[in-house]
This record gives sequence, structure tokens and C-alpha cells, in this order.
Amino acid sequence: MTSLNEQQPPASGAAGVAAVAARAAVKPRNRRRYSADLSALGEPALWGFGGALALGIILIAGFLMIVLYNGATTFWPKPIDRVELTDGSVIAGVERRGAIFRPDLPRLTEDQRAEVTENDGFAYRTLYQTANFDLYGDDFQWVADYETANVTQPADFYYFERQVWGVFVGRIASMTIDGQEMDYNPAVMHREQRAARARFQEIRNLERREIGALNYQIERERLNQRRAVLRMGEEAAAATVTASQMRIAELQAEFQDLQQRVNEIRAIDRRYTVTLEEVGGRQITPEMSQIVRYFPANTLNIADKLGIYISRWWEFVSTEPREANTQGGVLPAIFGTVAMTLLMVIFVAPFGVITALYLREYAKQGRITSIVRISVNNLAGVPSIVYGVFGLGFFAYTMGGTIDQLFYPENLPNPTFGKGGILWASLTLALLTVPVVIVATEEALAAVPRSMREGSLACGASKWQTIRYVVLPKALPGIMTGMILAMARGAGEVAPLMLVGVVKLAPALPIDAFYPFIHLDRSFMHLGFHIFDVGFQSRNSEAGKPMVFVTTLLLLALIVTMNATAIIIRNRLKRKYATGQF
Amino acid sequence: MSDMAPTTSERGMAAKRRRMTTRSSVVLGEKLAGGIITVGGLMVIVAVLGIMVFLFRVVAPLMTGSELDGNVRHQLDLPGAVVWVNSDEFQTLGVLVDTTGTALTFHVPSGTEVARTELDFNGAQVTSVAGTLERDRVAFGFDDGTVRFSTVGFSSTATARSRMPTGLTRIDARDQMLDGFVYTRVGTGDYRTNSSVIELTSVEQVSDQPIIAIDYRVGGTVERPTIAFATVDASGQVRVSQSRVQINMMTGQETVSTTTTDLPPLGIGADETITGIMMSGTGDRAIVATDAGFIYRYDLRNMDAPSMAERRRVADQGVGVTSLSFLTAEDALVVGMDDGGIAVWFRLQTGTSATTDGREMVRARVHAPMPAAVTDLSESQRSKEFVATDAAGNVWVYHSTSDQVLFRLERSGDLTADARAMLFPRADGVLLVNDTAEFEAWQYTQKHPEVTLKVLFGKIWYEGYGQPAYIWQSTAGTDLSEPKYSLVPLIFGTFKAAFYAMIFAVPIALMAAIYTSEFVDKRVRGTVKPMMEMMESLPTVVLGFIAALVLAPLVEEWIGAVLLGFFALPMGLMIGAFAWQTLPAQTALKYDGFPKFVLMGLSILITAWVAAQLGASLERVLFYGDFKQWTTGRIGTGTPFMFLILLPLSYFVTAWGFRKQFGHHYRDLIAGMDRSRAGMVDAGRWLALLLVAMVLSILVALGLTAIGYDPRGSLIDSYQQRNALVVGFIMAFAVIPNIYTLAEDALNAVPGHLRSASLACGATPWQTARWVVLPTAASGVFSAVMMGMGRAVGETMIVVMAAGNTPIMEWNIFSGLRTLSANIAIELPEAVKDGTNYRVLFLAALTLFIMTFIINTGAELIRQRFRKRAFNL
Repeated sequence: MTSLNEQQPPASGAAGVAAVAARAAVKPRNRRRYSADLSALGEPALWGFGGALALGIILIAGFLMIVLYNGATTFWPKPIDRVELTDGSVIAGVERRGAIFRPDLPRLTEDQRAEVTENDGFAYRTLYQTANFDLYGDDFQWVADYETANVTQPADFYYFERQVWGVFVGRIASMTIDGQEMDYNPAVMHREQRAARARFQEIRNLERREIGALNYQIERERLNQRRAVLRMGEEAAAATVTASQMRIAELQAEFQDLQQRVNEIRAIDRRYTVTLEEVGGRQITPEMSQIVRYFPANTLNIADKLGIYISRWWEFVSTEPREANTQGGVLPAIFGTVAMTLLMVIFVAPFGVITALYLREYAKQGRITSIVRISVNNLAGVPSIVYGVFGLGFFAYTMGGTIDQLFYPENLPNPTFGKGGILWASLTLALLTVPVVIVATEEALAAVPRSMREGSLACGASKWQTIRYVVLPKALPGIMTGMILAMARGAGEVAPLMLVGVVKLAPALPIDAFYPFIHLDRSFMHLGFHIFDVGFQSRNSEAGKPMVFVTTLLLLALIVTMNATAIIIRNRLKRKYATGQF
Repeated sequence: MSDMAPTTSERGMAAKRRRMTTRSSVVLGEKLAGGIITVGGLMVIVAVLGIMVFLFRVVAPLMTGSELDGNVRHQLDLPGAVVWVNSDEFQTLGVLVDTTGTALTFHVPSGTEVARTELDFNGAQVTSVAGTLERDRVAFGFDDGTVRFSTVGFSSTATARSRMPTGLTRIDARDQMLDGFVYTRVGTGDYRTNSSVIELTSVEQVSDQPIIAIDYRVGGTVERPTIAFATVDASGQVRVSQSRVQINMMTGQETVSTTTTDLPPLGIGADETITGIMMSGTGDRAIVATDAGFIYRYDLRNMDAPSMAERRRVADQGVGVTSLSFLTAEDALVVGMDDGGIAVWFRLQTGTSATTDGREMVRARVHAPMPAAVTDLSESQRSKEFVATDAAGNVWVYHSTSDQVLFRLERSGDLTADARAMLFPRADGVLLVNDTAEFEAWQYTQKHPEVTLKVLFGKIWYEGYGQPAYIWQSTAGTDLSEPKYSLVPLIFGTFKAAFYAMIFAVPIALMAAIYTSEFVDKRVRGTVKPMMEMMESLPTVVLGFIAALVLAPLVEEWIGAVLLGFFALPMGLMIGAFAWQTLPAQTALKYDGFPKFVLMGLSILITAWVAAQLGASLERVLFYGDFKQWTTGRIGTGTPFMFLILLPLSYFVTAWGFRKQFGHHYRDLIAGMDRSRAGMVDAGRWLALLLVAMVLSILVALGLTAIGYDPRGSLIDSYQQRNALVVGFIMAFAVIPNIYTLAEDALNAVPGHLRSASLACGATPWQTARWVVLPTAASGVFSAVMMGMGRAVGETMIVVMAAGNTPIMEWNIFSGLRTLSANIAIELPEAVKDGTNYRVLFLAALTLFIMTFIINTGAELIRQRFRKRAFNL
């Protein structure tokens, strides 16, 4: 405390004035001033502190705004620009974004150079989504504003979202209905495109559901054969093998029938096409069923736009991805995230609650609890990727490998549980989120008034009975808060999942219509990993960027909702107990 | 009531005799619950220890040594001296070729003869021999100046159990043989069939003198192989021959065209004897060694004008070179000497003028010397291992990269007979044959010979590098390249990222926490705190995505404004603070609180806007118009940057000096004024100090430049889009909520009566916060910072996405980095289970675990002590 006296100016104005008076004895000591010294107020420091808080809030708000704005506007249809360049070429595309850049001066013409030099060597350029990847070999083109001669928005330009090859931007030249070529007619086109999509959906259903089921059964028969051979030896299993081979033959006949039906529909499909023409005049003729959605981007009214906006959102949350995840929907990822998180809660809940009960109700406060707390703290502080490493090495390879040898020898050397999967992923995340549950549960247990416990014990209830019938029910909302917080944490974690079972495209969901319905060994898709994958691993990260923003928005919404719920519950609890305590 | 109770109870007892024992099910439940909960609670400890132990168990085999499984020795029967030996990858079959052209195929484990083939050497004596890396193509040099090429290889096919021939002879418990084929039963119940493939392919006459040394390489593709061989004849003439095999697509006929080039003479003395020649597979260099301790290097990049590029002494005076060998990939030349010394030489591009091509041979590694003169060297086909034999019968297996002698074997039998050794193709054993056709085979298991503590944490001189370095490069384009497993660049990257993150995070988080806990009212706190908590669970993948795809391009585009922002934001706040001081006391008091906070926010926004406007001008004024160009060091001097960096420091020095010198006078001066006047004077003082500080900073910067210091090249270097600045900033975003909530909790835990006492003594809230609350909560706040550090160290997704993932070691804030965690995330999904990379990545995880374990345990211990103390206050 000596340092305090040395460095600190006198704590109050009065003392300060006294000191001044003592030094300059000329001044009469008649009027005491109570104005505080400026340095005692520490105004600059306060502004620094407050500024830090304000900065934090501004950053958070800015961050959320970026995600919200980009995510929310992605699906809004934008007009198509037809841009004539100074060198005479013409492009058509949707404006994506603009940026300042430093052009390479020697490559410019005389006028352009003069214009750029005037701007300190900077120029502005615009990124157009010119689409038509199959024709151009690229989806995007930068256009500097000194290159631009004329920009128009012609009414006859359409925006096509295709099943493959991404977007097409151009006019409709003609269409072929049932093999009959005819001029473009919006009404007919609209009708036929919907019919073609219905056929497309039918083929997909046949392939996915029925042919998928057949494949699944054939695979099971094959595994049954192997299992029989492995268990009983080759001779003894001969009967089983013959039976199952007959079954496979049957299934394969069925398979042929289905394939036949699919081919028939495909044949019809090929008779309905549309001829599209890009801005330079080159044409392509895709089947109508390949066109997911199309609209005249420059003649839409607000209602049309809203319709497209909603239909795109619906597609996003209800369908599977296409075009290497950069288009289509994220249904499997939503499903995977939710399934994995729920599974995680099943594991994390008992573990977390029991540990909290131990810490609060059973353990004597002392060395052991101190060690337990350090352990909890370490569990919370260990980097998530280390859990991933542990999950891969211990759960998947060690535990999974053992399970495979004991229960699934017929599938070896292909692993069943001996690789990443939803079970191992949720176990790994359970380990990761257990501290969240412990801390929240402890808080909830601590908030249960002492009087209630004492009341229960005084009535003759045992310790466990008190906990079971008095403390736990009272603490339940708090425990639920912990669960929700753990889910929020788990849903957002990606790094460990990359090691224990998340994939960019899962062919089958972990829950489906085939026995045993829940396939805990399967890999799954995850919203967070989807963001990473589309943003960083895909062929064209620029094309995927809007998708990433939307996925981000969805994931954030999910997590913020969970957190907000948890916080609201907690605050309500606090209020309830604060009044109930006395 | 109270005196009634006992009597009623007594009466009741007397009347009914109530049972006072607890029901056994309740007792059991009680015990069960207690047991389960105690065990469950302690499971947390088990979990933490379990993770550590498991990681350790996976890592441990990296460090355990290799094991010798056993050896066999057998005498075979050959008419001449053995010149060539080869074995298949299963250690099943071996082939010996002797000087007479007899090729003997034998079963390695038992020494049983399997087949015997005669190669037609036309009566000539073999004087030298060389084979390709796979040892299945051999060139024999003869005393009549001819070279004969031969295939000495193996074929391995599978035979179904049902198709096995009859009449097999059993060799040993595992193998059977018939007509030169050896059948080995494999796991599925079928048989692997091995046989040798031996034939003479072609003859070339290259000299009229005996060929005393030869080397033979096959390059090109399978369809169009290029064959190159180098010979030295007894007259000392070195020749290089290249054959091109062209296969006619129509007829399938092969035509071989060979061109032989005489190389410039070596110019060696009469008493100097050539002991070996090596040639690279690409045919761009040939190296000749002599017993005088020299190597001669030919530059053959231009075959029309081959030149002698370099003559270099590789051994001490009086020590000769006895044998040469390339390690796989042919970047490293192993030189064996007659004093037992073994060294590895690299050909490096040093730009030296001593050689004709600007490259020179550099001795990069010196391995443990053998007890006697090295007689033979043979390299592994798959790794950087080689086997060396010496004159005293030692057979040592070396691993070059990790500089270890893996096995020290000893020959038994006749030590006077010359011996040659080879490593089995899978590097799981050594096959040694002496001239009398006695062979000895050792079988061993080696786990991870390429990893030692030195490799993981020390500097290693890798192939193709100019000096020893810390390098991480676990996988490369080809199998032949050297895996580099130094964890040092990754640990460095981890700390670099954490360091820059903490630079941003700690001031903001702590200052915000102090402000929230001490200076705002409950309602503001009630909204701000949950918001920050929510930030804590923001998925880092989202942060990483924003960092890499939004922030990184933005920062690159606005780098001038960003740099300016670091100075403008504090400046803006200070301007606000000094302006606020000029307000009359009444007004200041009236709008204290929320309006003031809004003003602070506004001042930040305004200064950010101003910085954005002035960014380009800053670049023009201070960085010669182009910041990115400037960072490369090509334009301008380091002065502007030094000025900026030194500005805060010189301000503090100036302010401190002012306070020391004039503090009392100044306080006296303004004590007499009213609030707004004092405020104005204070603002004037601040501006003056700032001006002085700027001048000081410029002077120091100029001085430093004058003495030749330039920050570029170390702290500042060329700009990459995904860099430590962006990573640090976004990671701070992830860490701030962590530090903030914990620090705020710690500050809040300071008992209210301390604050009340301080305020009652007349201290202002600022003085209370600075001199009472903060010192009391210091340990808790420190623990919060440590926890934040722990999180920054382990953060993965942000780094994976935004850091560029280049494992380089420089503090440059504008370059990328690779952290331990990012490295695991990137490489582990591809790593083969139980492979070296897999275990090294587990070691990375263990390192990370231990680092965070220390940080977190320390933080928790501090926090527990703080809690106890705060409770006692």
C-alpha cells in the first residue's frame, strides 16, 4: 500500500488543496474547494475502457450484420446486366460485388491509362456472375469500369438454375415439346417445365427409394452369406449360401424391372428440351427436366421476386445439395447436425449431472473436489481438435475396431464401426461439452434453497430421496439450460468432427427406412463442416460463397436461438429464486 | 406444546411399537446412489487422465527402438565368386549371380536351392557390376570391355487353393516348392506363388579395356524407358551411354539405340585408383570416386558438351573413398571411406564460382563411423536407410535423415571373403552374401526409424536445403522425398497466432470487463453480459469463414486504413475524453452513464470512418504510395513504420517525463480553475505532449534508420492475404468473450464493502476501480487471461481457414502460419493408422494437450486461491 501513497495524487480535493496550501504558504486557508482533481476522475482511462466495451459491441453487431445481410439477400433475385465492353465484346451476368484494384498500367490503352492515373493508379471493377460454365469454363468475370461502354438490362434475358453445370444466363431461342420444335411460349414452357420436373422427381424417387432399397437388400444378403461362411465353415453354410443367392437373383430381376421403368421415363424426358442462347449467340439444348428454376430476371415484379425468394429458401431447407454442394439445399446437413446433437445430449446429460451432484451434494469440499474442478476446467480448456484426435484413435479405431471384430467380421476389411461415424462423433462431442453441463447444473443445484433440503431431511427423507424428489425437480430448468448450452456448443463445433465422421456428401442418412433404422456407424453431414467445405474445399469458392453465407445464417440462427432460450430460462430462474429465497 | 410432545410420542411408542429402522430398499438406494455419483464424479478425473494416457500410448512407439527378430546362415554352392544378390519383398526368394554367369535362386529362410540358371557370359570375366535401385536390372562389366544387361527379378502371383499343382516338395513349415516356384499359404487360404525371373537382355561393347567400374540407371516411363549407364575402363576413360527403347506401336517391336559419349579425362595421378562411379537416373550428373579421397563430378546436362564440374576432397588426407551410393531420390550421396567414416554429401546450388555450374558438393551429414574400412554400401528402396559393411565384419544399418545406426550386426563365418549386403525391399532385414556363396539373413522389425527427438525438435539438414533447418513437410509429391517431421515450426505458429490474438484480445476484453463491472449500471450490464456469453458459443467455423473470405480481402484492400485505425481509434477516444472534460461539472454529471457510453461508441464509428477516408493518403504519405510494395523492402526505408510503432511508446515516455517533472506544478495550476477551464488546459497539455511525442518518435525512427535498422525482413515482410494480422484479429474475436466473462466474474466477486469503504473515504469511482478493485481481483483477472490464452492456443477452424497454413518460422505479421491444431485437422484425416505421420500427429495433439493442461491447471489453481481470498475478505 506504500506505492499507493507515493504515486497517487491525494485522494480527495480537500487533501489536495491542503497539500497545495502547505507548500505555497502565501495562500490563505480560508476557502476549501471541493472540485475533484481531473486525474482523479480518470476520464481518459474511462473513455478507453468504455471504448473497449463499445468496440466489442460494435464488432459483434457488425459481424452479425454482415452475416445477416449477406445471408438474407442471397436468395433475392437480381437483374441481369448486359455489358458492352470498349473492345466490342459483350457479356451478360448478374452483378456480384465490386472492389477497388490497381490495374496493370502498361496493358491499358492510352485513354484508360489517363483515367486510371488520374485516380492515383486505382480503378473500380465489378464482378459479374456470367455463369454458363459449360460454355465459358468459368462462372465469373471481372469488369473494370474503364472497360465498360454500355450497360443495359434487356427484358428477354432469363436466369436458369440447372441440375448440373450451375446457372445459365441467356435467352430462350426455342423449345421442343414432345419432339415437336416450336417457338418459345411462356405458358407452355412453364407447364412443360413443371411436368418435366415431376418426371425428374419420379426418376429420383425410383432410384433413391426403390433401387436403393434393392441395393441395400442385395448387400445384406451378400454379408449374410459371408457371415454364415465365417461362423459355420464353408460346407455347413452351403445351404444358406444357395438360398441367399436365389434371393439375390430375385432381387436382381426386380432391379432390372425398375431400371427398365427409369429408362422409359428417361426416353420421354429426352423429347422435351429447350434451346438456350447465351449473349454471344452460342446455343445449348438441355432437357427441360434439367432446369430446376428459371425466371426473366429483368421483368420481375416484387411479388414474383418474393415468390422466387421463398421458393429458394424452401429448396434450401428441404432438398439435397447439388453441384458439389454449391447449389441446392442442405437438408442432410441439417438432419445430421440435429441428429448428432441430440445423440450427444443423451450421452452428456447423465455424466454431467452426476458429476455436478457429486461436487455439490456428495463430495467433501477439499483436495478431491479441487482436483475434480481442475479436471472439469481442463476438459473445458483442452482444444477441441485434441478431442477429435482422441475420438478417432480411441472411439473409432480402438473401440470401433474391437466391435467390428466381434460383431461385424463379415464386412472386414471394410470397417463398420471402425471408422468415423455419428456415434463416435456424438460421444466425442459429449466429452467436449460435459463441462458446460456440469457448470450449469452446479449453478442450478446451488440455487435450490437450503431451506427446502432441510425441510425434506427433517421430514425423514434420506439424502438420495431429498435429491431425487426435492433438489433435482427444482434444479431441472437449470439443468435443461446446461443441456441447451451444451447443444449450442456441440452444434457449432467442427474441428473434432472432421476427424470422427463428418463428410462432405453423405450418400445415406443415419436414420432411414431400412432395418435397424438407426445406423450409428454412418458418416453424416454437418452445417458447420458444410461451411468449411463449400467455402474452402470446392472447385469454385466464389460460386459457393452465397451458399456459405446462407448456411452460416442458418447455423447462427440455430445456435443463437438455443443460447437465447437457455439464457432466458436462466434469468427467469434467477428471478424466481431471488424472490423465493426469503 | 413442547412439553406435550414427548408424552404423546411415548404413548404412541408404547401403544404401537413403531419400527424405527429404515426400509432396506431405501438404504440400498442410498448406497447405490452414493456409489454411482461418487464414481461418476471421479470419472471426470479419469477422463482427463485417460485422454492423456491414451495419447501417450499412441505416441510411445515412436520412441521405442527397433527389434531384431532373428537371423539364418546357410552355405550355397556356386562355381565362381558371387557378384550380385537380390531378394524379393517377402524375404522368400533370393538370387545370387557369380562371375561365371551362374544364377542361383534359393529359399531365404531355409537356404534350399530352388532353381539354377546359366547366363551366357561368353567366357568373359566379370570385373564390375551395378544394378538399379530395385536391383532387378543389372549391368555387368567385363574384362573384354563389354557390358551385359540382365534381369534378375522376381514374379509373384496368386494361386487359388483349388488350382494347386500336386507333387510339391515341402521346404519348411510355411512354404512348398515345385519346378522353381515357391508356394506360400496366405491368410485367405490361397497361395502366393513366387519365382525368379532371370535373363540376359543385351550386350554392348563400350571399350577395348576391362570395365573397372559401372553404374546403371533406368528412368523414363514404363512405355518408354531410358537406360543410362556410366563406365570406367582400365585406362581411366569415363563413358556415359544412353539407350532409348522405342516400341513400334504397329508391330510391337523394340528397337534399342545406344549412344556412348566419352567424358573429359579425370586427370588423376598414377597412384590414384578409381573405386566407384555413380550416375543419376536423370542422366544429368556422374560422380567418380578415387582412393585418394576425391570425388569428381561431371555435369552432363548438355550431353553434347559434358564437362567436369568439380573435383572435391571428401575425405581426410590419406583416406580413400571405398564406396558410393545414392539414397532414394538421388539427392544425397553416401560416401564410405577406408577409415570407416561415412558421410552424406548434397549437391547444392550455392552460386559458387569454384565450379563450372555454380553448384557444389557439400558435406551435410556425418554418420557414426564404422570400426574398420567401409567395404560396401547399399541403399534401401523405400526409405532413407542404407546398409554398410566394413572390413572387420560389421554390418550396420543406418538411417540417414535421423542420423541413427538402427542395427549393429556382425558377420559370422569367413571374414576374409569379400561380402556384399542388401536391404530387403521392405526394409525389414539385411541379406549378406560373401564370395564363397555363404549367405546370412537378418530379419528385424522397425517401427519409426525416421523419427527421433532430434528430428522432432532439432534442426536437421534435409536433402535439397542449404543448411540445417526446422521443417515440417510430412508428405510430398513423391514417395521418394524425405518426410520432415519437425514440430518446431508448428509450435512456433501456434504461439505466433496466440500472441497476435492476445495482443488484440487482452486489452479490449479486460478494459471492457472493468468498465462493465465498475462503471455501468445494472441494466446495461444485464444486456451486455449475456450478449458476450452468446458470442462465446459462436461457431469458430463461421468466424474463420468471415476471416478468410470477407475480412482478408477487405484488409488487403484497405490496409492503409486498417493501420491508421490502430492509431486513430485510441486517438478518437482520447479526443472524446478531453472534450468531455471541458464540459461544466453539472452537465458532465447529468449525462454521465448511458449517453456518455453512446458518445464513446459514436467516437469509435466516427474515427473508423475518418480512418477509412484517410487510409489511402496514409499509404501515400508514409509508405510511398503502395504499402504492399513497401513491405517487400524494395522501396523506401523503414522510418515511417518505425515512427508509427514508436509513437505510443514515446507518448508514454513523454507523459511520464512530464508528470515526473511538472506533475505537482501542473496539478496546482489546474486545481484552482473551474471544471471546463481545467478541462481545456488539460486538453492543451495532451495535445502538446502528443506533438512532442511525435517529434520524439520521428527522431528515434530516423536515428534507427541511420544506424541501419529496418523492421522489414523480421517483424514486417512481404504481404500475404491470409496472414497473422487477420488471424489474430478474428481469433481475438473468439477469445474476447472468454476473457471478458471470466474477468468480469472475478471483478464482480470483489466484495461490495471494499468499494463502499473506498468511496466513503472520498475516492472517485475511477480511483476505487484502479486502486481497490483491480488489485484485489488481479489474480482472478490473470487467470481469465490465461484461460483465454489456452483457448487461443488450441483454436483450430479459424487458423485452418484464415492462416494460409504455411509452416514457416517468421514473426512477420503479414505472413501466414500453421498451428499444431490446424496441422492435425488438415493431415490426420489422410494419415494411415499407426503410420509415422499418424503417431507424430498424435504427438502434436499430446503437445497441445500438455500445453493447455499446464495453462488451464495454472489458471484454475490461481482462480481457486483468488476465490478463497475474496471469500475471506
